[in-house]
Amino acid sequence: MPSLRSIRGRIKSVKNTRQITKAMEMVASAKMRKAQMRVRDTRPYAEKILELMVRLSAIESHRPNIFFKTRPVTTIGIILVTTDRGLCGPINANVFRQVNKFMADRPGARFEFVVIGKKGQDFVRRSGYKAVGSISGVKDRGKIEEILPATQVAIEDFKEGRWDEVWVFYTEFVSTLSQKPRMEKLLPIGPDVVEGGGKGASPFLGEYLYEPDTTEILDVLIPRYFESIVFQRVMENFASEYSARMMAMRNATSNAKEVIYQMTLIYNKLRQAAITREISEIASGAEAVKQG
Amino acid sequence: MSFMLTLVTQERELISEEVDFVKANGVDGEFGVLTGHSPFISLLDPGELVVRKGESLYSYYVSGGVAEVLPKSVIILANTVERADEIDEQMAKRARQNAEEALKQPISEIERRTYLLELKRESVRLSIVARRRSTRHPGQITEE
Repeated sequence: MPSLRSIRGRIKSVKNTRQITKAMEMVASAKMRKAQMRVRDTRPYAEKILELMVRLSAIESHRPNIFFKTRPVTTIGIILVTTDRGLCGPINANVFRQVNKFMADRPGARFEFVVIGKKGQDFVRRSGYKAVGSISGVKDRGKIEEILPATQVAIEDFKEGRWDEVWVFYTEFVSTLSQKPRMEKLLPIGPDVVEGGGKGASPFLGEYLYEPDTTEILDVLIPRYFESIVFQRVMENFASEYSARMMAMRNATSNAKEVIYQMTLIYNKLRQAAITREISEIASGAEAVKQG
Repeated sequence: MSFMLTLVTQERELISEEVDFVKANGVDGEFGVLTGHSPFISLLDPGELVVRKGESLYSYYVSGGVAEVLPKSVIILANTVERADEIDEQMAKRARQNAEEALKQPISEIERRTYLLELKRESVRLSIVARRRSTRHPGQITEE
């Protein structure tokens, strides 16, 4: 039988926990609203530039460009977008599972990582893969400059032939209640880039006029395409992180409430039992005195 | 005859609607687009983007980017965009003055080029502001 005092202590500590989870829930939900807006704002650009690149990749004269040409795959570069902190439900674990499956499906290939987020760094270290670049502490305020170091490494590696394909793994924000792990091929650019990519794209397959010329335009567009997509995916990941954390913390808060309720019941029962015992002791004591 | 115009930056979407005419500042000079334009892609220099929809004209400052013109649509992937009514006139003036003064000093070729670009940018901003002032509608300018 636990003592009254120990139960009182436990109720108190669970109450503290409840307060913390409650606070985290509120912080996450405030951040979530902003992050969701940012996802909405950044999606159009990413979609449009993706459609444009898919259209450009279909043009015959662009084929020789290294970013459009498919080559035999020996090394695959993976941009792994994860969160910096935990306590956000299963979203990181789901992405890692997808990465593992992806690698298991390609037994001949080598894999190298560019990691965004501390959780991803831990994952890559644990599984013994090579991270050629990693950044953490990215702010959710929506400035693209912060992720440029990561994308530059990736583009460089692809351009110089160390990587034959570049994929990005992240958690797509579907709704507050639902976040989906996603993987997308970013390079080389082709019609197969991103499942359902360029779905709304007009099927223009002719030649354009270029101002100033093709090479210069592609030199500008390709890095821009790569950066903006990765940037947008990082924004998706933030919205997912905050939504998942809010839900996780909401569950934790309601669990804590339940525990407090149960423990209060036990506490009251014990307290009443103690009172009853005391009364009967006093009563029997008084009885003994009377008889004596 | 209208066509679909999309004006987006990495951070937000400014326009996604049917318009009648667009004028932008390409690296090889200004160009205007009506429906049925032959397909072309152009890099953009800092400059004004004018959009006509029905009777209204709208003006934006675009710092650069890429425009894709197709017969029935125009997509502008801009680096940064300011709506005419978002331009900070005081700041633009100060920046222009800074650049002018810096250009008077003996400076390196690279610096000179940066400041010339800066000067151009601010001049475009200020001319957009000036034109906007001649009408009552914010973000909207009269037919030239």
